[in-house]
Amino acid sequence: MSLHDPVPAPEDAGIQIRNLTVSYDTDRGRFHALNDVTLDIRPRHITGFIGESGSGKTTLAMAMMNAIHNPGRIDGGSVLLEGAGDVLRLKGEELRRLHGRYFGFVFQASSNSLNPLKRIGAQLMDLGRSHGVTDLRALLREAKTLAERMGMDGDRVLTSYQHELSGGMRQRVGIIFALVLKARVIILDEPTTALDMLSQQAVLEIVRTIHQERGLTTVIITHDMGVVAEMADRVVVLYAGRVVEEGPTQSVLRHPRHPYTRGLIHAIPRITGNLHDVEPLQGTPPDLATIPTIGCVFRERCPIRAPICDTVAPTPTSAHGDGIVTCHGVDQHD
Amino acid sequence: MQLARRIVVRLFGGAIMVLVVAIFTFFLVRLMPGNPVAAEYNTLIMRGMTPVQAADEVRVMYGYIPHEPLIDQYFHYLWQLLHFNLGQSISYEGVSVLHIVLSDAPWTIVLVLLGLITSFILGVTAGVIAAVKRSSGIGNVLTVSGSLLHGIPQFVVALLLAFLFTTLWPIFPFGAPYNASLTAGFNLPFIGSVAYHAILPVSAYAISSYGGWMLTMKSSVISVLGDDFVLAAELRGVKPRIRFGYIARNAILPLFTVFALSLGFMFGGSLFIENIFDYNGLGNLLVTSISNRDYPLMSGAFLFITIAVILSNIVADFLYSVVDPRIRRST
Amino acid sequence: MIAEQLPQTPLVRPHRQSFLHIAWRVISARPSRILGLVIIVFFALMAIVGPLLYPHNLPINPNAIYAPPSLRYPLGTDFEGTSNLALIVTGARYVLFAALMAALFTVFFGTTIGLVSGYFLGPADTILMRITDFILTIPGFPLLVVLSTVWNFGQPIAMGFVLGITGWGGLARAVRSQTLSLRERGFIEAARGLGLPWWQIVFWEILPNMGPYIAMNLLVSITGGIYAEVGLFYLGVVPFHVNNWGVMLNLAVFTGGAMQSPQALPYLLSPLVCILLLTLGVVLFLDAMDEMFNPRLREG
Repeated sequence: MSLHDPVPAPEDAGIQIRNLTVSYDTDRGRFHALNDVTLDIRPRHITGFIGESGSGKTTLAMAMMNAIHNPGRIDGGSVLLEGAGDVLRLKGEELRRLHGRYFGFVFQASSNSLNPLKRIGAQLMDLGRSHGVTDLRALLREAKTLAERMGMDGDRVLTSYQHELSGGMRQRVGIIFALVLKARVIILDEPTTALDMLSQQAVLEIVRTIHQERGLTTVIITHDMGVVAEMADRVVVLYAGRVVEEGPTQSVLRHPRHPYTRGLIHAIPRITGNLHDVEPLQGTPPDLATIPTIGCVFRERCPIRAPICDTVAPTPTSAHGDGIVTCHGVDQHD
Repeated sequence: MQLARRIVVRLFGGAIMVLVVAIFTFFLVRLMPGNPVAAEYNTLIMRGMTPVQAADEVRVMYGYIPHEPLIDQYFHYLWQLLHFNLGQSISYEGVSVLHIVLSDAPWTIVLVLLGLITSFILGVTAGVIAAVKRSSGIGNVLTVSGSLLHGIPQFVVALLLAFLFTTLWPIFPFGAPYNASLTAGFNLPFIGSVAYHAILPVSAYAISSYGGWMLTMKSSVISVLGDDFVLAAELRGVKPRIRFGYIARNAILPLFTVFALSLGFMFGGSLFIENIFDYNGLGNLLVTSISNRDYPLMSGAFLFITIAVILSNIVADFLYSVVDPRIRRST
Repeated sequence: MIAEQLPQTPLVRPHRQSFLHIAWRVISARPSRILGLVIIVFFALMAIVGPLLYPHNLPINPNAIYAPPSLRYPLGTDFEGTSNLALIVTGARYVLFAALMAALFTVFFGTTIGLVSGYFLGPADTILMRITDFILTIPGFPLLVVLSTVWNFGQPIAMGFVLGITGWGGLARAVRSQTLSLRERGFIEAARGLGLPWWQIVFWEILPNMGPYIAMNLLVSITGGIYAEVGLFYLGVVPFHVNNWGVMLNLAVFTGGAMQSPQALPYLLSPLVCILLLTLGVVLFLDAMDEMFNPRLREG
């Protein structure tokens, strides 16, 4: 790949993740944050990554971009990008070109993802220069159009500093940064966290519209089943660094097969529902240091635990048509 | 507009500080054992002056005469001060304090400034390296040496430099700001001589304040590296050079808050460094005026050191608000 | 009296035994820290028992003026033929005691003002912080030199007091910002809810949480105090009442001409090396204090 003329991302940017393992070095030892994850991210689909904190959903997104930093380490596996090859083999300039051009990562609203000392416009120009954009004015015009489409005053946004924007505006600016270079894969980290209900709806609406318009491959990282239900075509349920269930959203939500997925769904209170129907998930979110190394990682919290779970780790089996589920108990309970 | 207002507010605050320091030195001299003002008056009477002559003479020296009520003396003193009259020196008979102070101040200010700039550049650079390579050998060496240099007092640094490079290996001249055989003025040999003589004292300032900058910059860079926007810029594929600029600019900001301490420290160091390298600056002036019991000169030198520190702080504050838009636009 | 019904121990107090235990574990983790501790203890012992080893008036020897280091005079002699080692050892007491006093006063003023300012906020805070800014801006050492014209520094405690009263600014600011963050914590809000008097909350609930930080500052202030007082004596603006390291430096440079002639060099270098050694000890030991203070580092 030439540095000056990077291969533009193909129209259909699918991602094939194979046997991806990521570990973190901590003072208590080295732990797997992702364990042998195999997954296809389909082009032109919205995929939801769901799980509690510590489930590895953000790590998975970072590993997909080969952006794991110390003390983390990618131990093995591959991430094949349509048109760019194995991301995990790229480094330096080639990897940098991919970030921003191919991937657009949108931070959550509460984070400060912009340099506090520079105007938004100047940072957009830095972005353009970094990716060899010659017509910076056109870039700014594009950003302004995007801003206005998201209901903001384009000129005002470009001349603002980060501290002059509200959380919701910052997040929309983050989306502009992700889209302005025509990235094909957009990854949104907790897009609804730290926003009020109305802003949440607005952001999701924007994401959905642009996704359809541009035919993007979109990944939404969330712990909110409601967001998945509303947005995602497919859902990936992660637990302790493993994919426990994956499939079309409709099917997974209607007929969850893994006890963890069922727990997540039952834990959602519904405005119209009876509060007694809500069952909080038992136990505590997994701590990487204490999850079992042998057998099923979920067994301590599992309502359908069987003797085999203590000794043998379940392997993925086909479910939901073209999806998977990883549980010893699926056959008996389906 | 807001920037201008901020500067005006700071200047006003600075003026109040100078006033408080003036009050302090005034009462200090008045409270001294043996009251030097009254003593001077009595000496003049003994020399055969009439009370009127003696009172005039004392007023020229101190700006007030000893028989007035304290409050009148104070207002006379302040009145003179507002006219930039700091009285007359006792040890340099008949010379105004302002004249002496003004002729000595440039040496101090230039040396402190050079030392400040040198140590700032070196300290900030080393701090960045120490932060980026903090888990490697270079990082450790830089951190430990920074802490040690930060801990060593200025007079020890100055004495060691003087001893090493003027006595043990005489590569630099000892004492005096320039070669006395040259004619002072804007000619090349003279300027060269001044620069040559200034190397050791400037190094003394720089070495003693390098550690502080380095340690502060190191911890600041480490904290900025953990900020979201650094990761965000990386994930957006922003060029490393531009990203480095983001980090550096953000990391340097907290250093401005250290300026007040650092400047006070450096001007304080002038007392030793000018003394050891025999410069006629404000620091040396302060020390010799005390040895000579020349209290008008002492007050003047102290007041000027304070003014220099306050003014430099205002400049630092101005630079800070230029760099940080959050301050520039708010308040 | 609600206060009497509460258990005597404050809500958060470092457990003595476990603190010493942690301290020793942290210190012994690196040889450099042990070295630092040894150096500090060495100088402390020198200051406490050292003067007892020598007669009140140190012997002079007209035949050994500015003698080089030898078996009899391990660090050489001064202008009167007095052993430099004896001068260093007997001088340590004033230097270190005054520095300890300075540190105690600094910590006392800095902590009290920082706590009061950060706890009460409002006008008290505004006034106290103005004063703190003022103290921080006025160049400390020149101020000391000016004060030396009216203040008698003969007693270590008098020296310590002046050093303390001019040097508390930085600590007050740091303590204030820590108080600000602590007062929002649950246990402080609980204590306020129980109606405890303010001084009890401030000194029994908030203060113990800053213990390690204040201890660190005590150590830093001691070294700061040593530098300032030795500097004052070195410049000769303070009358020489007793023999100490600063006086040695002054006499070596201005009377002995150590800068021009090497004969007075041992006289100059003895106190310089002592100060460097003590600095080294403190820097090495501070590394351990840092880790004790910062629990995130401690895990490692």
